[in-house]
Amino acid sequence: MAAALDSPRQETAPRFAPLLGRFALAGAVAGVASGTWALLVTERAIAPALALEEARGGGHEHGEELVGRGTQLVGGFLGTVVAAVVFSVVVAAVYAGVRHRLPGRTDVGRVAVLTAVGFGVFALLPALKMPANPPAVGDPDTVGTRTAIYIAVLGAGVVTALLVSALVGTLRARGLHPSAVATAAVLLTVALVAATVLLVPDNPDSIASDVPAAVVWDFRLASLGQLAVMWTTLGLAAGYLVDRLARRS
Amino acid sequence: MTSAQHTTPRTAVPRMAVPAYAWALALLALFALYLVAQDNGAVLASAGDLAHEFFHDARHSLGMPCH
Repeated sequence: MAAALDSPRQETAPRFAPLLGRFALAGAVAGVASGTWALLVTERAIAPALALEEARGGGHEHGEELVGRGTQLVGGFLGTVVAAVVFSVVVAAVYAGVRHRLPGRTDVGRVAVLTAVGFGVFALLPALKMPANPPAVGDPDTVGTRTAIYIAVLGAGVVTALLVSALVGTLRARGLHPSAVATAAVLLTVALVAATVLLVPDNPDSIASDVPAAVVWDFRLASLGQLAVMWTTLGLAAGYLVDRLARRS
Repeated sequence: MTSAQHTTPRTAVPRMAVPAYAWALALLALFALYLVAQDNGAVLASAGDLAHEFFHDARHSLGMPCH
């Protein structure tokens, strides 16, 4: 591996179409992995919340058997797969655009860096600002506000990633030691994440007193775990496939 | 000398050609996710209600806001 890297021959960049195919395949694998997690773990955390909803004698005003629970389980799995494939297509385009700037000596490393950023922006940061809530917790009247908060947090995460990468590029171009660059990058990330958490308005919903904390937090951790499985699998599978593609070209 | 030695050899990584359809496809994919995740009847009308309930658990478990 090291010999190949040190060889004077310039490697040629992979073409986009096969790269996209590798990412989409990895996205499907990530979707099946996180969808399986959804069925085995997250659904077990949703069940007590639905039981609460049932006990209140309500349920969503529009949820009355339009779709049965069994069908919703299938939808939970399929929706997770769709989301993973969508993320993989978006990550493929971004990866093609920034591949030559990403740290890492191989595509395994570069894809890992980009998908770690993706997990930070699309999973960790929203979870910090507005942790996921199980059914029976949300107030239907505030869904517009909560969607706006969610999108604002995603936007702030993308801006954070862009600013940090711009800072890293600038400092590296000036020849700073990598440890100094890393320190600066971490400090800027912390500052911007803190600003996002402090400045974006909080979730307006209060959690009703009949909802046990364990029901809420089991669900939140299951949800974050599901997203972690998705992004980790995407990063590992796409890294492996793209690395093989790049070595072939 | 100083910088070249301890930074990754970026010159060795050629820039990839990114066709315009890459970004179009990414936007299309995000729009599809929006339909799955967010649409509460805004675009799909009554079919949206079905999609909304069908993907209900995925939306919650992926941390997206839901009623």
